[in-house]
Amino acid sequence: MLANVFTKTIRDRWIGMFIGAITLGLLLLMGMAAYRSIDLSIYDSMPVGFRNLFAIPKGASIGALAYGAIYTSYGALTLAALAIPMGTGVIAGEERDGTIGLLLGNPLSRVSVIRQKAAALVVVAAFGGVVLWLAGILSPVILGVTVTGVTLVALTFAMSINALFYGFLAMAISTWTGKRGLGAGVSAGVLIVSFFAAGLFPIIPGWENVAKAFPWYYYAANKPQTNGINWWHMLVLLAGIVLFVAMALIGVARRDLRSQNVGVTIMDRLRANPRTAKIVERLVGAAQVSTVWMKTVSEHQALLIVTAYVMLIMSLAIGPLYNVITGPIKEFGASLPPTLMALFGGGNLSTAEGFYQIEIFGMMAPAAIMAATIAIGARALAGEEQNRTMGLLLSNPVSRSSVVMQKAVAMAVEGIAVGASIFVGVWLGSVIGRLGMSAGNIAATSLLATLIGLAVGALALALSAATGRVRTAVYGAIGVALISHVLNAFLPLNASTEGLTKWTPFGYYLNSDPLVNGMDWWHGLVLLILTIVFVGLAVVWFQRRDLRQRG
Amino acid sequence: MTDQIAIHTDGLTKHYGDLHALVDLDLDVFAGEVFGYLGPNGAGKTTTIRLLMDEIRPTAGSASILGLDARRGSVELRDHIGYVPGDLAMYPNLTGRDTLTYFANLRGGVDWSNVDELAERLDADLTKKVGDLSSGNRQKVGVIQAFMNRPTILIMDEPSSGLDPLIQREFQQMMREVAANGGTVFLSSHTLSEVQRVADRVGIIRHGRLIALESVATLRAKGLRRVELEFAEPAAAAEFETIPGVRDLVVRNHHVAMSYEGSMGTLLAAATRHHALVDIATQEADLEEIFLTYYHDEEPV
Repeated sequence: MLANVFTKTIRDRWIGMFIGAITLGLLLLMGMAAYRSIDLSIYDSMPVGFRNLFAIPKGASIGALAYGAIYTSYGALTLAALAIPMGTGVIAGEERDGTIGLLLGNPLSRVSVIRQKAAALVVVAAFGGVVLWLAGILSPVILGVTVTGVTLVALTFAMSINALFYGFLAMAISTWTGKRGLGAGVSAGVLIVSFFAAGLFPIIPGWENVAKAFPWYYYAANKPQTNGINWWHMLVLLAGIVLFVAMALIGVARRDLRSQNVGVTIMDRLRANPRTAKIVERLVGAAQVSTVWMKTVSEHQALLIVTAYVMLIMSLAIGPLYNVITGPIKEFGASLPPTLMALFGGGNLSTAEGFYQIEIFGMMAPAAIMAATIAIGARALAGEEQNRTMGLLLSNPVSRSSVVMQKAVAMAVEGIAVGASIFVGVWLGSVIGRLGMSAGNIAATSLLATLIGLAVGALALALSAATGRVRTAVYGAIGVALISHVLNAFLPLNASTEGLTKWTPFGYYLNSDPLVNGMDWWHGLVLLILTIVFVGLAVVWFQRRDLRQRG
Repeated sequence: MTDQIAIHTDGLTKHYGDLHALVDLDLDVFAGEVFGYLGPNGAGKTTTIRLLMDEIRPTAGSASILGLDARRGSVELRDHIGYVPGDLAMYPNLTGRDTLTYFANLRGGVDWSNVDELAERLDADLTKKVGDLSSGNRQKVGVIQAFMNRPTILIMDEPSSGLDPLIQREFQQMMREVAANGGTVFLSSHTLSEVQRVADRVGIIRHGRLIALESVATLRAKGLRRVELEFAEPAAAAEFETIPGVRDLVVRNHHVAMSYEGSMGTLLAAATRHHALVDIATQEADLEEIFLTYYHDEEPV
């Protein structure tokens, strides 16, 4: 597998994609098992608009629903998220690791490196699609379920193309600029915003066509799981991919390679400017290195600012939009049984609270908070080990437990900041849209979202402390969060498994319906205790083991 | 050098699965000395240092520094320790000064006039981001970081890598000053000339085992000499191989070269038994040669 850049890249990357695809396959199996036990005839009485919103075909079968619920959104998001680091790794990743000079010291051109790594990205994304396809064929066989009306090949093909779009976007930006973080951040942002917009705009009368401005539309709008491939839509995504590859090829040829990736931040510019130097130095320069936790917070300031800002704007925008949604969609929502609504994030379109729950609190809010807490939790300890700075840090008179605790504080600060931005956004949205939602209930829901984010972030911290490996911590925490979220949505579908939701962390987030009922302090306490337990484990585990010499 | 023990290890052992990185190390390093820790790559130097710094934990045995257990007393100890890790890495986004400020804060403050003086002596630029510095200049920041709180114990893993010869000399002077003031320097290196110049004693480690522990003076006085003999007629290797103390024998026609440890009379008596000696040149072996001698003699464990 070390024959050339192409095979080496596949060797380094296939396992992540394999684990991701297998996890999704298992979720599909669980989802199908849950759907097997419910009466599906109710779907046929739904208005067309409503079925469209949730990608439910007429005469929906168990299979179609399970594929729709697990693969179409979670699956496609996961696949795209796995493609992004592959894209940023093409040139910028090697620059960051300081290996680019060595690699190009061989008779290889920059263009050839990009070509081989891009080809590897295509192969790995296709591999992910094939594993999902196999899992999709096997699941109904295992459960003895008959699936009709599902075009599985089209769905997994579209998922792979969709993933490649974001992977190559990441490659284009990071290769053009040499900044790995920028490529990852922008592509992840485009992924989330476009997923959100492509789902939202079609239900707002008069705004339906705005969705076409977002790439996710070209993957999902045609509902590949039932309608097959829309080649015109695929062509749009493929055109994007071609454009991104061209950008990468032009971008890498026009610039100096970096020996180590040191970005210049706005703060650096302000510190360098004689007019602002003094005040900025006092406020930021000294503060950022005053303690371990302050330094950790400052390292992640870009992530924090972007995440908090995006969530603020999105939460705010939802309020006024709610007033525009009218007609049968809204009215129908009121007549659905609550267990069925749990599938759609537990929200109910007939109320502003329900709408906010579907659009913001169901998935976006915890995901945004976790993006911050997992990033810090996972990098906190293992990141310093990987960058070989942990030995130096611990040569100072700070104990290992103090380092863990301070990293946990930094994680909490960022999680709380994102949670607060969501609270402010939703509250302002409610005020501007005159929705009359209770500020107290919004605060309670934001607090619970923050707490579930902290619990999962603390799990990442514990994994990071135990293993010293960033990837293990990130994927472990995301995996637990994803499985817990899906379990919490599916377990209530069946009366015999409904009670089991109390064993999943997500059960303590929205199951008390805090937007309507206000704070459930017991649920908050459970999440807080979970966080404390994970931080405690992190302290113990980090205390015990040898530091890694190189992550 | 005093007889006060600064660093003590007792059967210190570290295994990584089947790999015996360090085996049964018994070592005393004294206050007021520069201790050179020599060995080829992968010999166990860094493992020893990481054990002393409590980065990793021993499979067996223990270490103590200034009378405190290296594991249990590690946080307290670090107030007194300056450390330069091997393969030094720092935070690329911080300037040199930010980096030093960070570590100074973690230490509860530092005398900045000392930092400035160190920066001047090493000709270090503290205004640039660490990630923008060359490896040598980055190393200077690491060295200042280790010296800035006037530590009692300095533990350094190949600290001179990347430093140019002039700066290296200044750095060696700084180490001697620490020892002169009663401090202790534990210096791992494979730059033998450096150790020879700066160290009082030397420990040589190979395959995880300490194979020699000598003062630099004793090591030199061991009598290992480089000897070259010129004969009137061609000589045969067999005539010299059997002489005790002969190593690294090279016989080329009339010319014979070797490393020799022992009485010069014995060597000359044996050498002149068959041939007429035309010329002889001898010189004291340097540490490198002595080191290589040990290196070659030791059987792999």
